[in-house]
Amino acid sequence: MSAGGQSQAMFFRARAARQAGDVGLRRTLQKARPLFVGKRAKGIAGLAADGLGFGALRTACADIRRRVVDDLDVWLEIFEERARATGAEVLWARDGAEIRRHVLDIAARHGVTKAVKSKSMLSEEAGLNEALADAGIRPVETDLGEYIVQLAGEAPSHIIAPAVHKTIHEVEALFAAEHGRPLQARSSADIPAMAREAREVLRQHFLSADMGISGANFLIAETGSAALVTNEGNGRMVTTLPSVHVVITGIEKIVPTLEDFASLMRLLPRSATGQTISNYVSLLTGTRGAGDGEGPEKTVFILVDNGRAALAGSDFADMLRCIRCGACMNHCPVYFSLGGHAYGWVYPGPMGSVLTPLYTGIENALDLPHASTGCNQCGVVCPVEIPLPALMHRLREVQVERRLRPLAERLGLGAWGWLARRPTLYRLVVRLAARYLRWLADDSGRIRVFGLAPGWSAGRDLVPPSGPTFLERYAARKKD
Amino acid sequence: MRLALYVTCLVDLMRPSIGFAALRLLEAAGCEVVVPPAQTCCGQPAWSAGNRGLAAGLARKAVAELEGFDHVVVPSGSCADHIRNVYPRLLADDPQWAERAAAVAGRTWELTAFLVDVLGVASVPGEFAARVTYHDSCKGLRGLGIKAQPRRLLAGVHGLEVHEMADCEECCGFGGAFAERFGETSTAIVERKCDAVAAAGTDAVVGGDLGCLLNIEGRLRRRGDESTRGLHVAEVLAGPEPA
Repeated sequence: MSAGGQSQAMFFRARAARQAGDVGLRRTLQKARPLFVGKRAKGIAGLAADGLGFGALRTACADIRRRVVDDLDVWLEIFEERARATGAEVLWARDGAEIRRHVLDIAARHGVTKAVKSKSMLSEEAGLNEALADAGIRPVETDLGEYIVQLAGEAPSHIIAPAVHKTIHEVEALFAAEHGRPLQARSSADIPAMAREAREVLRQHFLSADMGISGANFLIAETGSAALVTNEGNGRMVTTLPSVHVVITGIEKIVPTLEDFASLMRLLPRSATGQTISNYVSLLTGTRGAGDGEGPEKTVFILVDNGRAALAGSDFADMLRCIRCGACMNHCPVYFSLGGHAYGWVYPGPMGSVLTPLYTGIENALDLPHASTGCNQCGVVCPVEIPLPALMHRLREVQVERRLRPLAERLGLGAWGWLARRPTLYRLVVRLAARYLRWLADDSGRIRVFGLAPGWSAGRDLVPPSGPTFLERYAARKKD
Repeated sequence: MRLALYVTCLVDLMRPSIGFAALRLLEAAGCEVVVPPAQTCCGQPAWSAGNRGLAAGLARKAVAELEGFDHVVVPSGSCADHIRNVYPRLLADDPQWAERAAAVAGRTWELTAFLVDVLGVASVPGEFAARVTYHDSCKGLRGLGIKAQPRRLLAGVHGLEVHEMADCEECCGFGGAFAERFGETSTAIVERKCDAVAAAGTDAVVGGDLGCLLNIEGRLRRRGDESTRGLHVAEVLAGPEPA
C-alpha cells in the first residue's frame, strides 16, 4: 500500500493472493508470530502474580471504555476544558483533510521546516507525511520501525510493529543507502548496532526539528493530558524537544481518570508485547511552565472524528473501545499469512477488517469483512471485549442488505437455500452430487482439479465420498 | 432417553461413516436415536454470508424438526455452535419462534460434549491401534468450550496413542466459504497446520469437524503425504464399521 490515506482495500482479494504467495514474506512473519503470541501469553499469565484474572480485568477495562463511548460528547467537553486550562490548544478535525490543514497552519505560524514524529496512526489516516513534504516540511519518523518503513517509502504493516514484514537484510540495505555507508553482512546479533546507528541519525533530527508530532494512547479527561506508551524513548524526545508539540488522536481515545488509565495499563502492554509495563509511560500535560527544564512552548491537540462519531450508538459502537494493542492481528491466522499491506489501508488484521469499511465506505472494502475464518482467536484475546467476528459478520449483513454482494454469489446462495428447504429434492441433488464427486476422482481416488471450487483445489486435493449419502444408506438400512 | 442425531450436510454427503459411528456410540451408551429424515443443513453458510433471512428460514426448519427430543446431538462443533449460539439470536425477535429456538438450542450438543458432559460416559469400549494427534476446531473450542471431552474419550481407547501437536488450537484455515473465496490465504494457513501435523509424526490427525479434516487431509495429500489420515473423533471412538 502506498502511504497517504488512499485506501486500496477494494483490491484485497488480489493483494491477498499475491501476498500469500510470497514465501519470503511468510517466512519473515512466521518468525515474528510466536514472539507476539508467546509474549502475550506470558504477560497475561503474569497477572496472576498480582492476584488478577484476565477475565475480570478485561471486563473492567471494557467497562471503562464503554462508559466513555456511551457519553463521548460529554467526556470530550470535559477533556477540552481541562486541556485548555493547562495551556494547550484543542482543535477538532472532521477528516484527514482537516488534520492536514490544521497541521500545516500550525507549521506555517511557527515557521516549521522539519517535524519529528512518534507514531500516530491518525497521521496515516490523513496521509500527513505527503502533505508535509508537499509544503516543504520534512517529516521524520522516529520510531525505529516507522523510520524503516519511511525509508522504504512504505506504510506500516502492523500498528505496533510497523516493519515486522522487513528482513534484517532489507533494513541493512535501507540504512546503508540513507546513512551513506557501504553495505555490511548482518545477522540478528547486529540489531543493537543497527539501532544505535539509527539513534545517532535520529538524534540530529530531534535537535533540529521545530515541531514534534505524536499520537496518544489515551487522553485523560480529568487532567487534560495525553498518555503515551512507548518503548524506544523517542516519544519523549518528540514531545519535549521541539518548541511545538502536536498530538493527533481519535476522539474515542478518552479515559475518564488517571485511575482508569492505570487499569487499562494493566492490559495494554501485556496484550501488545507481553510487557508488564512499557519502557516509557508519559503523561503530557499542557506546555512548559516557568521553571520547567523541558517541554514544548506550544501544545496542540487535534482531536479527529474521521468516521468515529458515526459509530457511536450504531451496531458498530463496540469498535470504539479499541485501545490499539494489536493483539487481534497478532493472533490472526489471516494476518500472519499475508502481512498488513494486503489490507490496503491504515489498519490491518481483524481490527482493520472492521475499521476500514466503516471509515472508508462499506462499498469500498467488500472483501475485508469476509477475510476471516471465523476462528475468533482475535475475539478471545481482545483486552476490551470487542467481538470482532460479530462485527465483521454484521458488516456482511449490511452488504447483503444493501445488495452489494456479487450477483453470482446471491444467485448461488439463493438457489442453495431454496433447495435446502425442500428435503425431497435436496436429497436427490445430494445423491447426485455424491455420485458426481466420485466420478471426478482420479485413479488414486482423489479430486485434484475441481472446477466448482477452484480456490479450494488450487491448494488442496478433495477426498470424495466413499459411497452413497448417509441418509440414503440409513433409509436403506431401516428397510432391511 | 430419546435423541435426534443431526448428521450435518457435510457428513451426509462427504463421509457418512461419521454419522454411523456417532449412531453406534450413542446407541452403545443406551440412547434411543432418531435421525430426523427431513434434515438438510443448519444454515450456517447463509449466516456466514450475511444472509439473515435465509439463515433464519433454515433455522426455523431445523427447529421444527429437532424439537420434541430430549436432546439433539451433532457430530460437529461448528454446526452445534451454530444451533446453540446463533439460533437463539437469529430468531430472538420472532415471537413464534424465539422460545422454540432457545429450547432446541439449550438441548443441542456436540457429540463428545454430549457423551462426557451429559451422559457422563467415562470411556468407550472401542479399540483403535494408531498414533494420532488432535486438532481443536475453532467453533467447538472457542464457541462451546470443547477441549477436554474428546481427549478424555480418546484416552480410553485401547491401542490408541495421542500425541499433542504444536499449536493444536490454531485455526486450520477452513472457514467454510473462506477456503474457496480466499483459496491462497486458506492454503497458506493450512500449510502451517500440516507442518504441525507432520512434526507430530502420527498416523492420523483427529478432530471433531469434518470441514477442518477435509481441509487438512486435502492439503496433506497435495503436499505428497499419502498416508496421514484425517479422522473424525467419532470414527476413532466407534472403531471401524461392522461389515
